[in-house]
Amino acid sequence: MHWYQWFALAALAVCMISFAYHFFRLIKLGRPKDYSARAGSTTGGIVYSFTTGMNPRNKESAFLHLPTYTAGVIFHIATFLAIVLFFLPLSGLEAGRSIRLILSPIAFAGAMAGFGILIKRHTDKKLRLLSSPDDYISNLLVTFFQLLTGLVLLNNELYPAYMIVSALLLLYMPVGKLKHAIYFFAARYHLGLFYGWRNAWPMKKL
Amino acid sequence: MEKITKDKIKAGLEVLKDLQDSKLISHLNSCVHCGLCADSCLYYLTTGDERLIPASKVDMVSSIYRRYCTLTGKVFPGLVGARKLDDANISEMVDLLYGACTMCGRCVGHCSIGVDIEYVIRAGREMLAKMGYVPASLQATVDAALESGNNMAIADEDFLDTIEWMEEELQDELNDPAASIPINQPGKNVLYTLNPREPKFFPLSIVAMAKIFYAAKETWTLSANMYDVTNYAYFSGHPKHSRIIAQRMFDEMQKMQAKKLVLAECGHGSRASRWEGPNYIGKEFPETLNSVELIAGYIKSGRIKPDKELTQEIVTLHDPCNLVRSGGIVDEQRYILKNTVKNFVEMTPCGVDNFCCGGGGGQLAMSEYNDRRIKIAEIKAEQIKKTGAGIVATPCHNCVDQLSQINVAYRLNVQIKTMAEIVADALIIGYP
Repeated sequence: MHWYQWFALAALAVCMISFAYHFFRLIKLGRPKDYSARAGSTTGGIVYSFTTGMNPRNKESAFLHLPTYTAGVIFHIATFLAIVLFFLPLSGLEAGRSIRLILSPIAFAGAMAGFGILIKRHTDKKLRLLSSPDDYISNLLVTFFQLLTGLVLLNNELYPAYMIVSALLLLYMPVGKLKHAIYFFAARYHLGLFYGWRNAWPMKKL
Repeated sequence: MEKITKDKIKAGLEVLKDLQDSKLISHLNSCVHCGLCADSCLYYLTTGDERLIPASKVDMVSSIYRRYCTLTGKVFPGLVGARKLDDANISEMVDLLYGACTMCGRCVGHCSIGVDIEYVIRAGREMLAKMGYVPASLQATVDAALESGNNMAIADEDFLDTIEWMEEELQDELNDPAASIPINQPGKNVLYTLNPREPKFFPLSIVAMAKIFYAAKETWTLSANMYDVTNYAYFSGHPKHSRIIAQRMFDEMQKMQAKKLVLAECGHGSRASRWEGPNYIGKEFPETLNSVELIAGYIKSGRIKPDKELTQEIVTLHDPCNLVRSGGIVDEQRYILKNTVKNFVEMTPCGVDNFCCGGGGGQLAMSEYNDRRIKIAEIKAEQIKKTGAGIVATPCHNCVDQLSQINVAYRLNVQIKTMAEIVADALIIGYP
């Protein structure tokens, strides 16, 4: 193995250990005890939280901001794809040329969406006020990860650069807002639990 | 504002340090600063002030969490936008968390991630309360409740006089000298509570509810000792104060041995007593329900019969945020109106997407933010105008108060009524 592969593996280990800490801390703490009389289904609330509750038709953050929402969806699809492709060699599998040709545009689309979101963050006053360096670094690392994923699918000579960017991303993930990769699921779980208990979710849309 | 001290910082950070609340940890770590919550918040929509978007309010709390409770925030605060608890940041926190949020929770359902923004804001208010930075007018309301047993500091004698007077009104209206407003009678089916605004400013709403109980042949009582459904400490954020008030309610229920506690038409009072109260004191409450659920039940079961023809005017409904979004009570108030008035029209949006009237989150008690409170009501005023309604019904006395003020400020020329008043006006006495 080359040094950059060792670097990426070490970064992966750091990231996994850190994420495991966050995950198991939440598991250990468990769900908050609620002494009020339950009025609804917590399971129903949690299922709603991860399904209909995320339907873009039900969220102003989606249907009032369709270009941004679409960019966000593409960005996340490409991120998941890039992560799967990162782990693929570990499983001994390799994507064939035709599959690489299909997947690389998805990765490029994700990178373009990422750049678009970055530009919006810089030009929209309310986002600029809200942002810290972490917001820009997180976006740039994921965007470059997607870009290099797309490039390496077409040209293997960029593999060292891809590994280095992947390692930097993995090392940075536990530092800033990219931790939402774990906490997003926990937040939605708690929302579903909380509102399901009160029979407020599934929402009674009129 | 009083200067920050080390002791104050320590007291405030108690809320965040050594956190054992997986829910708060999750929500403090989830916001990605996408800013898409902005258009769900009436403060941003009516003022255009970028500081007031919900994500900024969450960041006020989570940035302090990062500064004091995460390794990155301690070592590289600038990198992750971690903020210190200093005078400038506390001043901003007070303005954003108390003065620019009605805790309506509208942003929560629309958040792209699912951050419980309202829950984080409550944690921020708790920090400020523990440091002694609750706005003076809000703290005065809490203190009144703690010292006198009701948030308007109504003297016992005055309360009893008002009830006696209202009982006479009831007897006159029903032409029945036996009609009563019972007080301190243990062992009844219902222990009914009031919003202190009722005995203080709107005593006829007590008559309205008494008329409904009379028509339903309900056995019920008020308690002179603890009738206040509100818990303003839920807004100020100090857990000790909210616990004392919730404990009083619990103790009174035990003393009165009623089968059910029925909460008056009050959004936050309903939430604070039914959902938060048991958690404040760590005990389960006996059966507790909102009066809207009770009245809807009376109509469904045929215990009372309203005559729709008696109210011909167009009636619209303002949904209190704490009932619909946080309490799941959406259908009951609609069922009541559809069976009580001839012309019921919905606002747009309505139900779980309804906009706050602007009086929630303790805003009505905080005179410091009066101008802002009236400004953010622009949306509600427009909603009401568009319905063409002559009557706005709402199952919340705080909302009644705010709507009455915006009725004047925006020249809406509508009547504002509680659900009990609407039903009482339409009741057929002697049915079945």
